[in-house]
Amino acid sequence: MKTFYQLPFYLLLASISNLAPPAQGKPLSYVGGTMAMQENDETGHTLAIDYTFDPHFAFGLYSKYEIGGNEFWMAGPQLNTLLKRWNLPEGQGNIFSMTGAGMARQGSNNQPAAWMTLLADYETRRLFFSYEPRLMYAGKIEKSFWQRAYAGFAPYVANYDQLNTWVLLRVDHHPAKADHFVVTPVVRFFYKTIWLEAGYSSNNHVMVNWTVQF
Amino acid sequence: MPKILLAIVILAGLSGSAWAETITTTVNGMVCAFCATGIEKTFRKQPEVATVKVDLPKKRVVITTKPGQTLSDAKIKEVVTYSGYTMGKINREK
Repeated sequence: MKTFYQLPFYLLLASISNLAPPAQGKPLSYVGGTMAMQENDETGHTLAIDYTFDPHFAFGLYSKYEIGGNEFWMAGPQLNTLLKRWNLPEGQGNIFSMTGAGMARQGSNNQPAAWMTLLADYETRRLFFSYEPRLMYAGKIEKSFWQRAYAGFAPYVANYDQLNTWVLLRVDHHPAKADHFVVTPVVRFFYKTIWLEAGYSSNNHVMVNWTVQF
Repeated sequence: MPKILLAIVILAGLSGSAWAETITTTVNGMVCAFCATGIEKTFRKQPEVATVKVDLPKKRVVITTKPGQTLSDAKIKEVVTYSGYTMGKINREK
């Protein structure tokens, strides 16, 4: 019960620190747009729904069931922030943060949770790179650091109302999991507001992630 | 005869003011389908706009206004900036 009294403190802490959880796509939509995201990979199953209310901010709910090590569920509200954007004639670079706080649950053990992710990406019509470090605090259940990088290319250039295809390599380093380093070849598809990616990891897990904007 | 000529001149003037305008602007940073969708939807919300077409490979947006209406450069810049991007060159045709 004591942990419930501590929750406001952690919510405040997370809001001030302005941190966040994983996202392979951009965590902001257009103003007035809603984005639903689901991820299934060797680290767990994620569901997030965000509403973009300002060019620099989106607010929503985040939930993840962690696997591959310590198994637990966590959920809470999340704030996604565009910290910096570089609009270039041939590309775009971004730094985002995603910060959330809520509750983690393992069996009957409930703990306050807070998470923070930074996401840096650079993208042209042909190339894509991203790096994403993440901190997670789940009380007595888990405290972990995790990082992820993507690099890839588009084999052809398509218009936005055509199918866009990307071939990428994803590398994960998560010391709290059973497999510390995981490499996943990924195929990513974009069609208008639908985004889907699939891969198969070096530790034999199927990865399927999708995002829809509406 | 002068009255007919006057009527033709007035009608020509009225029809001219009712022409739609086609505006093309390049957008820096528009590199992905999600970017294009955001810009398209934000322009469509403008009351002066009739149609919006995004050309992602050329990084440009083609806007057709409603007859007799226009969008100023400042307004286009505001919409592009509000969408999270940077406006490039603007070209207008009537």
